[in-house]
Formats: sequence, C-alpha cells, structure tokens
Amino acid sequence: MVEGSDTYFLRPNHQLKFKPAIVKGYIREIVRERLSGVQYDPENVPELTLSLAESVKDKVKNAGFDRYKLVVQVLIGEQRGQGVKMSSRCLWDADTDNYAEDVFMNDSLFCVVAVFGSYYY
Amino acid sequence: MEDYLLEEKTAFVVEEVSKIIKDSVETVIGEVSYKHGRVNQWTTSVVEQCLIQLSKQGKPFKYIVNCIIMQKNGAGLQTASTCFWDNATDGSCTVRWENESMYVIVSVFGLAI
Repeated sequence: MVEGSDTYFLRPNHQLKFKPAIVKGYIREIVRERLSGVQYDPENVPELTLSLAESVKDKVKNAGFDRYKLVVQVLIGEQRGQGVKMSSRCLWDADTDNYAEDVFMNDSLFCVVAVFGSYYY
Repeated sequence: MEDYLLEEKTAFVVEEVSKIIKDSVETVIGEVSYKHGRVNQWTTSVVEQCLIQLSKQGKPFKYIVNCIIMQKNGAGLQTASTCFWDNATDGSCTVRWENESMYVIVSVFGLAI
C-alpha cells in the first residue's frame, strides 16, 4: 500500500484534494440505487448497512484520492416518528482533510451516509 | 536526538477511549429525558467533550468523533462503518449507551499521523 513510502509532501496537490462535492454525488447515486423502494426489515438491515458502506468505500477508493485514509459511516433507521440527531466533530488538518455526507428518506426508513477523508502525510 | 522519538508508532488504545466516551456521555446527559429542543446542544457537547479529552492525551492522532442520539420509540436503528486505513496504527471505538428515554451511540475513529 502507498502508505509505506515517504513522499515528503505536506499538502496534496489541489487536483488530488478530497472533493466533498464529488464524493457526495457518489454517495447519492449508490444510496438511491440500493434503497429506493426498500422497506425496513430487521433481518436484512445489518448486512444491508455493511454492504452499502463497503460499496461507498470502494467507489471513493477508486476515485483516485491518493494517500487519503477513509472512514465511511452508514446509519439506517426505521421511520416511526421518533427524533434522531447525528453530529460529528473532527480534530484534523482542515486544509487537507474533509468530509461528505448525504441523507436519504423514504416512507419506511431513513439513511445517513458520511465519508471522512484524512490525508496521510 | 529527540526527533527519533517519532519512529515509535503509538497504536490506538481502545479501552482508554471507551472510558473517555462513557464519561463524556454520563456528564453531559446522565439521566435526563429526551427533549427535542435540547438534542442539538447535547450532541455538540458530547462530541466536544470527547474531543477535548482525546486531544489532552497528546497522541499523534487525527480524530473523528460521531454521536447519534435517538428517542426510544420502538423503532429500529442500524449503523455500520468501514475504513480504509493502516490497521497497525489506526483504530476505532464505538460505545452504545442508553437511559430510559433515549439511545446514544458514540463512535471515535483515530487516524495516526
């Protein structure tokens, strides 16, 4: 893996920076494709969340953000009128690191996907 | 020379982080009931408390702290995360906490610099 070698670059080139807008587009596409028309089913949901996370991670990996470590978090919940709040804070280098997130809702479930990218110096 | 200390790679210690998370949640929320108007403030406080304690440890890590608060209503919730990182040095810790009226799930991801 690239992580082992030293490049001595303290900052990624502008073209290679983590671009939230692009990643958000990927997330939207994948989630809409996989969750449109799906009902919340306690049997299936665990593997659905995991496989959704893996798909998003693979898509972002192949997008070519070199030397970026990725964390993908997927949350799927049943819609029953309850209140939910998800919030994140990060201690990182705001110049090089960034995140993208998207929310999807249908009648029976809601889904939040967050992707965090952190540059490996 | 002192700079050679950077050669030792500290690993992510799950127990310490788990303790930090539990303490933060107990301090901020404790036994209070779910109130829609206050959730914003709770999530922010929990996350900021965690981050402050984590940065006090002084380890060479970047942190991502995530907090989910959900009202107890009989509804189901599932969360999963997957990461592309260096297994030797990076790690994560997720704590599930509840009181009578709500569920709180806090995840901390530590990425070595």
